[in-house]
Amino acid sequence: MKRTLGTIVAVLFTTAALAQEPTLIRFGRGFAAEEQVWLMTARPDLTPNQGKKYALKQILFQANPERFQAYLAGELDAGTAPGLAVIFARAEGVDMKIVASVCQEAKGYFSTTYMVKDDGPIKRVQDLKDRTIGVVGYKTATDLWARAGLINAGLVPDKDTKVFSLGFPAMGDAVRTDKVQAGTFVEPFYSQQLEKGGLRKLFTAVEAVGYDHELLDVWFGEKFIKSHPDVVRAFLADYVAVTKYYLGNTEQAKRDLHKAGFVRGAIESYLKNADWRRDPNARLDVDSLKKLSTFMHEKLKWLEKPVNVDGMVDQSFLPH
Amino acid sequence: MKRLRPFILIIVALAAWEIAARSGLWSPILFPSLTRIAYQFWLFVSQPDGFTQTWTTLYRAFGGFALAAVVGIALGMVMGRSALVAEMLDPLFSGTYAVPKLALFPIFIFVFGLGSLSKIALVFLECLYPMAIITYHGARSVQPVLLWSAQNMGASRARTLARVVFPATLPYIFAALRVALPVALIVAIITEMISSVDGLGYLVTYSLSSLKTDRMLALVVVISLLGLALDHALVALRNRLVYWEKLDTFYV
Repeated sequence: MKRTLGTIVAVLFTTAALAQEPTLIRFGRGFAAEEQVWLMTARPDLTPNQGKKYALKQILFQANPERFQAYLAGELDAGTAPGLAVIFARAEGVDMKIVASVCQEAKGYFSTTYMVKDDGPIKRVQDLKDRTIGVVGYKTATDLWARAGLINAGLVPDKDTKVFSLGFPAMGDAVRTDKVQAGTFVEPFYSQQLEKGGLRKLFTAVEAVGYDHELLDVWFGEKFIKSHPDVVRAFLADYVAVTKYYLGNTEQAKRDLHKAGFVRGAIESYLKNADWRRDPNARLDVDSLKKLSTFMHEKLKWLEKPVNVDGMVDQSFLPH
Repeated sequence: MKRLRPFILIIVALAAWEIAARSGLWSPILFPSLTRIAYQFWLFVSQPDGFTQTWTTLYRAFGGFALAAVVGIALGMVMGRSALVAEMLDPLFSGTYAVPKLALFPIFIFVFGLGSLSKIALVFLECLYPMAIITYHGARSVQPVLLWSAQNMGASRARTLARVVFPATLPYIFAALRVALPVALIVAIITEMISSVDGLGYLVTYSLSSLKTDRMLALVVVISLLGLALDHALVALRNRLVYWEKLDTFYV
């Protein structure tokens, strides 16, 4: 009798303990421009809901397709991704929704920059005819901006100008040695190259598409959103709090991220790096996503059919 | 039934794939059905661009492979017949065999450019090792009785090399070619995946970036069939040239 009672009590305790266990969010992150997201792990003290309403496990991915494949394989619940990558995913029927903004390409802030040799023959984008422009992967945001810049200048990408994929670290040397005549630069490579000298801006991502637009966003799987709406709400409440902290205490936040190992390299250069625009309330510029989607469908022919952008965005979980 | 035996495992694997694809357990983006893959395969082979892209990859693979064959066989033969050369080159080959040459690709790009040359150079380097090392061991293992006979008949050193050592090493050379050929294809495709605007590797990356797994898998099928056809051709050539020692390990 005693043994039976003991077993019942043990089972009840275990069940109660499991019931209180916060829901785990398996979050696929990238390696650039996601400071607020990383800060949630580096500074959990800024996230009151973490450990209570949800537990966060961040998993690093080098590229978007792998992140989405991991999600499709049931290994991720959420993550970060460029808006256009989510547009691609939705076009293929992946059940995910963008719920918040991470950062945007905007005037007055850092914008991904295409640079050429200072003393080279490329004075304007038209001069890229019969030459090569370096991007960081096909069908990525860097590819889209490069193509937009070329189209604006009356050039036909792939026909008039080759679009070549190279890693960010190799871009500076590739431009200097004329392997490509223009290259894509983001921080910290942009500042490093400016410091080295010999390169200058040709155009930026904002100039290429002609409007401010979403760069990186936070997405969640639709099933996760449906089964854990409160968890998503709690996560985003913390996310917005961390974003505000980051914007108000950027230097300290960057020091914390560097100390936690999210950023490598010299802290001094990291502190000096220019930054993209981050909305303090993590609100999305949905119209810019619509424009990007239309451009991808109509001009670049990257999408077989238009994507319903309103259907892939849900900002209702953000704090009001 | 005996003729079907080599295909049994392939059929089982395809059936398992189709069952997994239709089970609904995985997203069709991850596990597209064979029908979808077959459709993408048909689209690829029925368009002229498919052949252009395939030719681009083969050109890079064959370019590096042929160079490696010429240099590797020559080096291996000389190493096999000259203790001095072997003493000088063996540490170099043994010491650097395990180096992942692919890590050198960024340097190759800066030296040879973004086009085909950097890819051909890396294919050459990757294929050179098996070519030289296997040929070297083949040249070393020529039966002494054959060499003594040639010497007794007054054959010069060059004639012995051409008429005795080389034919006796041929089975090894073909073994080296069979090892190096798929390496050439793989390296050409990987370098195209890293940095290219054409070729099968580029198409694989492009399909992955678009989350078109069915298209990517169709390309994998194309690459597999190419590898199979090339190996088949090489074995046929081998059996023709090395008629005294035909391969009995080739079924498909």
